[in-house]
Amino acid sequence: MRAVTRPILIVVMLALLLAPLGLPPFAMTLLTEALILGLFAMSLDLMVGYTRLISFGHAAAYGMGAYACGWMLLHTGMPLLFAVFAAALLTGVIAIAVGWMCTLATGISFSMLTLAFAQLLYAISFKWTSVTGGSDGLAGIPRTSGPLGFAALSGKSGFYYFVLACLVGGFLVCFALVRSPFGAVLRGIRENEAKTTALGYNTRLYKIAVVATSYALGGLAGALYAPFAGFANTELLFWLLSGQALIMVIVGGAGTLVGPILGAAFFMLMEHQLSSLTEAWALYFGLIFIAFVLFAPQGIWGLATAWLRRDAKAS
Amino acid sequence: MTTLAFLLTESLNALSQAALLFFLGVGLTLIFGLMRIVNFAHGALYMLGAFVGYSLAKGSGNFWVALVGAPLLVGMFGAGFELTVLRRLYRRDAHAFLMVTFGLALVVGEAVRLIWGPDALQVAPPSALAGVVFLLDEPFPVYRLFLVATGIVVAVAIWQFLERSKLGLLIRATSQNADMASALGVDVKRIRSSVFGIGCALAALGGVLAAPLVTASNGMAATVIIDAFVIVIIGGMGSFLGSLIGALLVGFVQVFGNYYLPDLALAFMYLVMLAVLVVRPGGLLGKET
Amino acid sequence: MALLELEGVTRRFGALVALDQVAMAVEEGEVRAVIGPNGAGKTTLFNVITGTVKPSAGTIRFAGESIGGQPSHHVCRLGLSRTFQITALFPEMSARENARLAAQARHARRWQPFGGAGVFRQAAALADAALEQLGLTSIGDTPAGLLSHGDQRLLEVAMAMAQQPRVLLLDEPTQGLSVEETAQAVDTLARFLQASRMTVLLVEHDMEVVFRLAHRITVLHRGAVIADSTPDAVKADPAVQDAYLGGFA
Repeated sequence: MRAVTRPILIVVMLALLLAPLGLPPFAMTLLTEALILGLFAMSLDLMVGYTRLISFGHAAAYGMGAYACGWMLLHTGMPLLFAVFAAALLTGVIAIAVGWMCTLATGISFSMLTLAFAQLLYAISFKWTSVTGGSDGLAGIPRTSGPLGFAALSGKSGFYYFVLACLVGGFLVCFALVRSPFGAVLRGIRENEAKTTALGYNTRLYKIAVVATSYALGGLAGALYAPFAGFANTELLFWLLSGQALIMVIVGGAGTLVGPILGAAFFMLMEHQLSSLTEAWALYFGLIFIAFVLFAPQGIWGLATAWLRRDAKAS
Repeated sequence: MTTLAFLLTESLNALSQAALLFFLGVGLTLIFGLMRIVNFAHGALYMLGAFVGYSLAKGSGNFWVALVGAPLLVGMFGAGFELTVLRRLYRRDAHAFLMVTFGLALVVGEAVRLIWGPDALQVAPPSALAGVVFLLDEPFPVYRLFLVATGIVVAVAIWQFLERSKLGLLIRATSQNADMASALGVDVKRIRSSVFGIGCALAALGGVLAAPLVTASNGMAATVIIDAFVIVIIGGMGSFLGSLIGALLVGFVQVFGNYYLPDLALAFMYLVMLAVLVVRPGGLLGKET
Repeated sequence: MALLELEGVTRRFGALVALDQVAMAVEEGEVRAVIGPNGAGKTTLFNVITGTVKPSAGTIRFAGESIGGQPSHHVCRLGLSRTFQITALFPEMSARENARLAAQARHARRWQPFGGAGVFRQAAALADAALEQLGLTSIGDTPAGLLSHGDQRLLEVAMAMAQQPRVLLLDEPTQGLSVEETAQAVDTLARFLQASRMTVLLVEHDMEVVFRLAHRITVLHRGAVIADSTPDAVKADPAVQDAYLGGFA
């Protein structure tokens, strides 16, 4: 299977590297946002696809990253590069506490606790106006270039390459993680947590660790979004975004890392294409999502690789 | 206002709030108890109930038609969804349900926005319930008293239904052991469809009853689904009594929290939930999970 | 000194006394069976030893160290590995991956979040050796969920063995197997126990299995030990026949 998918990934990678040369600015904006959402969805896949920790509150990671990064850029004059990574790190550290709380429960209660935590942040973002700007959010977030000659990052294609590098870097981190001994334990938790505990693993610590990693990467995505859009608002913490991220993971293919990135791109494409055709695009998208859960739970990437493998076998 | 009068009116407020929350929570917990499904669309169906109720009340000029009609229609819709979609998923893991009902929440939410438009709609309570009464010389809306009464009636009715009726017995049997019930000749499929329908109808009842207080709006689904989950988690998934206790607790926390610590009212609800989970991970009356 | 020693171990659930002043000592290399009628407290005994349930009173010593009331993952790491009455496996992983994950739990770098070829190599070697011991080498690549019931039970034993335990706790290893499957599984287990000289604590319902495998038998009745002797002596003990074997008549 690797032999089949590797050439495709290389071609896609080349296309992404060359994209700024050929695409009009409008398409570049869409593509950049798709990559950011891809990183966000992929980070959720660590929990959903590899550990079966169904988070309903991943927007918490995105929003925290976005607000933290936006606040630093607005108020501290920190350079872009530093603010983005500091925000991701901060999100990861806070997520240790979140993970500790949420893993008190398992199964559905876990999902609800993640949701509750995200909604709590959502409520706080309205009240804590001195930091979050209340219902107006943070606006006019600059892409401060900083002293080390990273000026190129502030431009449109420079920022695009920065996002692409974060996505590829994030992918490599996740890829190594799920294939490591740590990843093997996560798969054990996914398939039979009680047995994993009985084998002598402290599964709660593994779960907290994966929540923290997942949130840090989700926070990275949010931290990229704030300077990309130039604003951060309460929408970024709303449960609808958590749900959309979950859809991207499932429609793309949970437990594959590549799938959720595709799912995010597909989501962006659908939103863009369908919303120009019909006002009811979200309705159709919901129906497409239900159809995927019912008839193709392996997602787009699962369907594609199965098809490619069959093709490879036939030839 | 005297302290006594204040406590009385605020307590009645909390009770009326708890009644609305109870309609949501009990449906959710019934469905979970029987099918191990978390119905994420519960908030959306509550909203659908409010909007269908609006149209029925407007069309017939009679609030009581809406009160009966909306739960019936939404209940039928829910049973239909179980028949056509959920039924295909019983062999899959619990997460498939979560996803599918989330999809349903999206679809219903969008459909409501397309049919009724994006604006909040005002629903008038029936004229008999529109006024105020004086309790210890303080005015109090009759409609809220009506909510408290409805809450008590519905709670007793459901309790009696589960304890006394034949269908209630079958539901309890199936909740405890579906395979055994099926082997004993219970039509488990039909029980599932009915309970899903009943749960959805209760959500819709909550929606219709809430509409005169809060108006029917697109945002109502998201807020109530979280409240409903908090109730069910506090009370214990699948426990009828638990949902009642959870609804009362959350109702009082919301009303009194709003008065004393308005900035922290929302956080307070989550803190209560967290405290319960730390002490009893399965909820107050739930089984350990 | 015995490898595993229990003294005065008591566990109450409310008014129910599930274990009542249980004392026993398992020597290194011994295969010890614990028998008793339903509700005698056999599974509770296992749960107390492995740390899933805390004892209300009494001490449990393993190789001289007190382990009573310690969390199960800690107890497990000291060298007690158990199987479950109800088959517990990772159904989508192959048999070899199941055993490898078990072996990895003993590795100092089981946490490593990147690379890990070294960890995997060492764990895989232990896993393969354990599969070999239980005669499962040929089905190593089959997903555990697709194995026959008998092989699934044996795979559980192999997983416990891949952890290189000092004591193996087997909770009804033939539970749920047909007569034929039981006979095959017991043959394999007997061969394996003979060859490995493993210290085993075994809970089993099937008397034939117990008399075939055990060196020594402890009989529990209503949570208390009523006999502790060789299989022949236990068979002849009138108190045991009364409490237990009589129960079948």
